[in-house]
Order: sequence, then structure tokens, then C-alpha cells
Amino acid sequence: MQWMLNNKFKMKNHFSLPNSGHNFDAKGSKLGMWLFLFTELLLFGGLFLTYLVYRNLYHEAFLQSSFHLNKWAGFTNTIVLLTSSMTVAMSIVALKKGAKNKAIWLLALTIIAAGIFMVIKYFEWSVKFEHGLFPGMDHYMSMEPGEKIYFFLYFFMTGLHGLHVIIGAVFIAVVIKKIANSKVNKDRVSLHENAGLYWHLVDLVWIYLFPLFYLIR
Amino acid sequence: MDLFISLILLNKIIYIMEKINVKKHEHQFSYKEHFGTWIGLVLLTVMTVSFSSLWTILGELAIVTALFIATSKALVVLEYFMHLKFDPKLYRVMITVVLGLFAFFMIMLTIDYLTR
Repeated sequence: MQWMLNNKFKMKNHFSLPNSGHNFDAKGSKLGMWLFLFTELLLFGGLFLTYLVYRNLYHEAFLQSSFHLNKWAGFTNTIVLLTSSMTVAMSIVALKKGAKNKAIWLLALTIIAAGIFMVIKYFEWSVKFEHGLFPGMDHYMSMEPGEKIYFFLYFFMTGLHGLHVIIGAVFIAVVIKKIANSKVNKDRVSLHENAGLYWHLVDLVWIYLFPLFYLIR
Repeated sequence: MDLFISLILLNKIIYIMEKINVKKHEHQFSYKEHFGTWIGLVLLTVMTVSFSSLWTILGELAIVTALFIATSKALVVLEYFMHLKFDPKLYRVMITVVLGLFAFFMIMLTIDYLTR
């Protein structure tokens, strides 16, 4: 038995499905991406649980602190992210139809949207820095525990989300490069689709962050 | 020996399943469809913002409506932008199990904290 298996692996030193002729497996590649997205769910899920517990404990403080946030900045950012999700989805349609340049332009629009999101975020954060609301600053240290936790979670969760926006934009830039030199093409869209999935996850997280931090009132 | 045979059989079964799947999920998304999805999502966002200004009337219900709308938005993104609706069933099963388990823990924890 053992020698038989050994022989098999000696002849073919990599795994491949019979009759496939190559190692490209679109379904498996997408499956792997989903598995990764589940770990992201756990990462953000733990933070949402923390939020839930402290919101129950410090209900009034969370409500009062949320007035420091600009609802319309959050709204604009939601629209920007939704639009960028649409352009990613459309660029996959374009590539599958063989319209390479259109796909590249739509992805470029997504990166621009990511930039707009980060700029709005930058202005929001700098206002809070001016008011000394960042953990460790003087005003922050003099606040009551509930407000401290609210701003700690606000900076941590939107910060982690912002990091994901940056990583997603880099991922998309890599895909643009690969589409340009035809490594990713009509018949091999996996990397493109996976970048799309990652970008949609970023969008999904924001869909929950927005009402939980900005719209408590 | 039977391990060897079962390996070959398994490969054959996977191959047949792939063939069936390829035939079944040939839905091509269009630009129009994605634009429609976007309009729906924007409308839901406007809805959640306008509901939030009613918090004095709604009270505790405000957070429930906000989370309800957020979850509908998330489902729309999953089904249409993330192609779940027309992808092989395998992904749907996986995601349902994982999200179901996650939602279960969230709900149990909420109940625990609300009844203390």
C-alpha cells in the first residue's frame, strides 16, 4: 500500500485533479478566500461583542459621546464605500465580457473612492485630536469610564477598518497591474474576484460600524 | 489497496460534481443589475439615517431598526455584490453555517446581559 502511494507521488510531485491538465482551480481559490473572510468576521466580531457589552453597561455615556461624531461625514463615507463596491462588481462584469480597459478604469475608480474615504476619515479624526479625545490625551483622561470606552472602541474599530481599506486598495492595485499584463484575464478572474470579495467585506464592516457609532441617537 | 480505489473514486466524484456545477451557475451579471443594487443600498442608508433622528420617539427600538436595516444591507451585498445568489451552493451552505453560529453567540450574549 505504502509503496503504491509513494510511487504515485514520485510520478506526480504535485496534486492535480484528473483530466484538468493544470493546477488552476477557481472554485477552490474562492473557497480559500471565504475561509479567510471568516477569520476577518471573528476579528471584527470580537470587537462588536465588546461594543455590545459596554453599550449595555454604559448606555447613557455612549449616547452622549456619539454626539461628538458627525453623522453626515459618516453618511458620505457610507455612500462612497457603497459606490466603490459597485465599481468593483462592475469591473468583474467588464473583465468577464473581455473589456480589459473598462475593468481597469472601474478598479481605478475604486481606489479613488478608497482615497476619498480615507481623506474624510482623516478630517474626522483630526477634529477629535483637536478636542483631545484620542486615548491618552488630557481631555480623554478626565472623561468618565463609559465615554473613555466609547472613544477607545471608536478609534480602534474605525482604525482597524481604515487599515483594511488601505490593504484592499493595495490588493486592487496589484490586480490592476496583473490585468494590464494579462496575468488576470477573461478565463482566469479568480484574483480579481477575490479582491472584490475582500473589498465587499470592508464595505460590510462599515455597514455595521456606521449605525453603531454615528446613529445611536 | 481500497484506500487507493477510494481515492480514485473520490476524484471521479469531484470531477462529475464540477461538471454539473459549471453547467448550472452560468448567470452573467450585468452593469444594470449592479447599479440597481447600489440604488437599493443607498435608499436603505437614507432610511437608516432618517430613522435615527426619531430616536426620542423610538427609544430602545431605534437600535433594533438600525441593526435590522444594516443586516438587510449586508444580505443584499452578500447576495448580489458577492455573487452568492448565483454561485455554487457550497458557499451558501458554508456562509449560512458560520454566520448562523456567530449570530447565535451574539444573541445568547445579548440575552445574558439584558437579563442580569
